[in-house]
Amino acid sequence: MKRWLFVLVFLCCRGASAEDTLHLYNWNNYISAETVERFEKSCNCKLVQDYYGDNEEMLAKLAAGATGYDLLVPTQNAADSLIKQNALRPLDKSLLPNLKNIKPEYLNRDFDSGNKYSVPYAYSITVIGYNEQKMKELELPTDTWAVIFEPKYLTKVKGRVTVLDSQRELMAAAMRYLGYSINDTDEEKWQQARDLIIRAKPYWAAFNAQSYIKELTVGNIWLAHGYSNDFFQAAQDAQKAGRKFTINWRIPKEGAVIGMDNMVIHKSGPRQDLAHKFINFMLEGENSAELTNLIGAGNPNAAALPYIKPEIAQNPAIFPDEQTIKHLEFMKDFDRKQRRVMSRMWTEIKLKQGEDDSTFWKGLAVLLGLFVFAVLGLAAYKRLAASRGQAA
Amino acid sequence: MINLLNSTRVTKWLVSGPPFLYLTLFFLLPSLIMVVASFRYPGEYGGLAPIFGVEPGKESGLTLETYRFFFSDFIYTQVFIKSFGVALATTLICLLMAYPLALLIAQSPKKHRDFMVLLVILPFASNFLIRVYAWMIILGPQSAFSLVINHFLGLFGIEPVLLLFSSFAVLVGMVYVHLPFMVLPLYTNLEKHDPVLLDAAQDLGANAWNRFWRVTWPLSLPGVYAGSALVFIPVLGMFAIPDILGGTGDILIGNLIKDQFLGTRDWPFGSTLSIMLTIAVLCLAGITAIISRSGVRNA
Amino acid sequence: MRRSSWLWAISALVYAFLYVPLIIVVVYSFNDSRLNAEWVGFTLNWYHVLFNDEQMIRAAVNSLTIAVTSSLVATALGTMAGIAIHRYRPKFLPFMVITPVAMPEILLGVSLLLFFIQVLNLTLGMLSIIIAHITFCIGFVAIVVRARLAGMDESIFEAARDLGATPWQTFKLVTFPLIMPGVIAGALMSFTLSIDDFVITFFTAGVGVATLPLQIYSMIKIAVTPEVNAVSTLLMLLTLTTIIIASKFAPDALRGAAK
Repeated sequence: MKRWLFVLVFLCCRGASAEDTLHLYNWNNYISAETVERFEKSCNCKLVQDYYGDNEEMLAKLAAGATGYDLLVPTQNAADSLIKQNALRPLDKSLLPNLKNIKPEYLNRDFDSGNKYSVPYAYSITVIGYNEQKMKELELPTDTWAVIFEPKYLTKVKGRVTVLDSQRELMAAAMRYLGYSINDTDEEKWQQARDLIIRAKPYWAAFNAQSYIKELTVGNIWLAHGYSNDFFQAAQDAQKAGRKFTINWRIPKEGAVIGMDNMVIHKSGPRQDLAHKFINFMLEGENSAELTNLIGAGNPNAAALPYIKPEIAQNPAIFPDEQTIKHLEFMKDFDRKQRRVMSRMWTEIKLKQGEDDSTFWKGLAVLLGLFVFAVLGLAAYKRLAASRGQAA
Repeated sequence: MINLLNSTRVTKWLVSGPPFLYLTLFFLLPSLIMVVASFRYPGEYGGLAPIFGVEPGKESGLTLETYRFFFSDFIYTQVFIKSFGVALATTLICLLMAYPLALLIAQSPKKHRDFMVLLVILPFASNFLIRVYAWMIILGPQSAFSLVINHFLGLFGIEPVLLLFSSFAVLVGMVYVHLPFMVLPLYTNLEKHDPVLLDAAQDLGANAWNRFWRVTWPLSLPGVYAGSALVFIPVLGMFAIPDILGGTGDILIGNLIKDQFLGTRDWPFGSTLSIMLTIAVLCLAGITAIISRSGVRNA
Repeated sequence: MRRSSWLWAISALVYAFLYVPLIIVVVYSFNDSRLNAEWVGFTLNWYHVLFNDEQMIRAAVNSLTIAVTSSLVATALGTMAGIAIHRYRPKFLPFMVITPVAMPEILLGVSLLLFFIQVLNLTLGMLSIIIAHITFCIGFVAIVVRARLAGMDESIFEAARDLGATPWQTFKLVTFPLIMPGVIAGALMSFTLSIDDFVITFFTAGVGVATLPLQIYSMIKIAVTPEVNAVSTLLMLLTLTTIIIASKFAPDALRGAAK
C-alpha cells in the first residue's frame, strides 16, 4: 500500500518536470532498449514511446486527433500522406550535421524532394519467415509466395501459417505473386488477388501483425508473412531460448514490398529541439548500426557500415543484392475511392469463411429458424385459443 | 432575488437545466454530427471533406454516395445479418441459462435472495476485458479444458479443434459477458409473482410443467422482454469480443465501424454504418415495445 | 416452497459458469510460469512486475483521475436529472438521460469522436475521456436517484411545504438527506463504470493517454503474460469493494437500475 502511494506521489512530481520528455510514436520493436538508454543519457532527457503495428493504424489515430507526438516513423507512403496534409514540421538541417551519412540513393525521393520533412530511419522488407527444420522436413520451398498461397503446399502446414493483418501488405504479396505491381489499381487485378487470398485463407491460422514473432519462436507457427526485422528478432529469440529449430527468412523471388521508414516531426509535438537531437543521434553511424545489429533493420546509412556485424551485412534478406532490389517495390498511398474499394475487398476477405466455421453457423441458423418458427406458432396458437374464449 | 429562487418555475429550470444542457451538447449534438457525417465525402487523407466548397475541383457538400456504397455489395448486409444472428443466439442462450437461476433465487427464502443476487452481480463488477481474457485462458490450446475436449473428440477420430479464435469462442464470450443482464430483470419480475397462483393451479390439478408454462411463464414475459433487450442491443454493437476471441472471419458490425474510424480512415462510411445500426436498434426497440404492450393485454 | 432438484442443479452450473473463469484468472496470477496453462508454483513475482511497470502505473493513475472527476460531475448532474424527472416529468430529459446508457456503446464513442474532432477541434486526451464518461454516467445516477425518490412517501415533501419551507430549504433539509444513499450508490456506480469502461474510452482517448482497460487490451493483443492476471485481480478487488459498499447504501436502488 505504502509503495503504491509513494509511486503515485513520485509520478505526480515527475509529471511536473515533463519538459524534458520526447514523445516518439514508433513501430513495435523498432528500436532497442540499449539505443534508447544511450540517447537518454546523451540528451539528459526521457524518451516516451507509443507503438503501432501498421501505418494505417498510425494514420488513423493521427486523423482522429492524436497530438503531442514529437516524432513519428512512417513508411514512405504514409509520410507522403502526412506531408500532403501539412501535418509535419520542416526539418532544420543545421541541427542535423549527420544527414550526410545517408547513402545518396535513399535521399531526395519523390515523396519528399530535398528531404524537407523526413530523414530515412531504416528499411524493412516484407518477407516469408519460417522454421527451417520444419520446412526441410515437409520439403516446402521457401523462396516463393506460393508456399503461402498454394493449397498444394498449404495442406502440409495447415493451421501453422500466419499472414500480416494488413490490407496493403497482404494484397501486395498476392499481387506480386500474380505478377502485378503492388501499386496497380486495376480493380480486376485486385479481384484476382482477393480470390487468391480467399482460396488460401482456410489453411491460415490467423491474420496476425503483432504476436507472430512469439508464435514462431515458441514453435506454434512454422511459416509466417511478416517483416524482415521481426524475423531477425525471432531468430535471435529462438537461439537464446535454446530451441531445437532455427528461424530464417527469405525474399520471395516474385518480389516483395520494401518499406522505407522515415523520421518526421509532427506539428503538434512540443519539443522539436529534442526531436532534432534524436534524429541527429540516430543518423550517427554507430547508433544506426546498433539498430541493424540489434533488430536486423535494413540500413540506408553509409557511416553505419563499418559497425554492422559482418554476418548481418552479408545477409541477402537484409541487404539485398542488385538483382533482388529490382523486384522490390515501395508502396504508394491510394486515393479515397481506391481505399474504399480495397476496404470492401478486405471485408470480403475477412468474412468469407472456411468450411469448418460455416457448419457451426449453418447449425446455429437451423436452430434459430426452428426457434423463430416455434415462437410464431405459439403466438398463433394463443391468438386462436383467445378467440375461442379459452384464456382466463 | 430570494423570491426568484423560491419560484417553482425557476427551480424547475435550475434543476433540469444543467443536465439537459450537458446532454444536448455532448450527446444530441454529436449524434446529429454523426448523421450529417454519413452524408459527407471522406477527406482525401482521412477524416471528412468540408461541407462548403473550399477548392475548386475537390468534392464537397452532401451526397448519398456512402449509402449507395453500403448497398452496392451484399457483404455489408451480410455482416448485419450475421450480427443479428449472433445477438439472437446470445439472447436465447442467456435466456435458457438465466431463467432457472432467476427462478431459483425468486423462490428462495427472502434472507438468501439479496446475497444470491449479489453473487450474480459480482462477476459483472469485474472489468469486461478481464472476463473476456478469462475465456482466452480457458479455451486456449494448452488449457485443461481444450485438452479434455480434444481428447474426447479424438475418441471419435475427429481432429483436434482449436476452440479459441473461433465463432464458438465469440459466442461463449458474448453469453458470459451478458448473462447478468438477463438474470436481473427476470429475477425482478419473478420475485413479484404471488405464490398463491401456483398453489391454486396445483389444486386445480396442473402438473409441474403446466404450472410453469401456463402461470409462471406468461407472467414473466415483461421480464423476458426487458432482459432480452438488455442483451440483444449491446451485443449488436460489440467489437472487443470478436476482436479478442474471434477468428479472422468473425467480424460483426462493431468491428466494421471501428475499422472505418481507426483503420481505413473512411469516416463517412463509418458514420453510415453507425446510422444503420441505430436504425436497427430503434426498430427493435419499437417491436419490443409493441409486443410487450400487446402481451400485457393478453395476459 | 417446492424447489425441484434440477432447478438447483442448473443454477449451480450457471453459478459455476460465472465464477470459474474469474477464479482461474486470479489463481494463475500467482502461477510461477509465463503460460496460463498449468500450475507450476506459487509466486508473487507477477505483482512485482506489475508494480514496476511504469506504463501500467501511468494508466492506473489516469484511470483513477478520470473516474473520480467524471463520477463527481456525473453524480451532480445525474442527481439533478433524477430529481427533475421525478418531480417535474419533463418530456425530453428522460430520453436524453437514458439513451446514452441503453444504446450500443460504440455509437456513443464514435459520435463523440466525430464531435470532438470536427466541431470542437479538441485534442483527444484526458478531457475528452472525462467528458465522454460523464455523458453515460449521468444516466446511471439519474436512474438510481429517481428509483429512490419513487420509493419515498410524497407526504413528507407536502408536510415540509405546509410548514412554510422554500423549495431550496425542502431540498437541503428534506430531499437531499433522504436521497443521499441513492446519490452515494450512484456515485460509486459511476466510479466503477468509469474505471471499467473500454469501448467509449477506446474512441475518445486518442493516443498517449492510457487507462487501465486500454492498457489491458493492448497487453492482451500484443503479449499475454500473467501480469495481465495480476492487474485483473487487483481491478476485480477494487470494483468488488465498490459494488459491495454501493449495495449496502441502496440495495433496492440497484434493482431499480436493473429495470
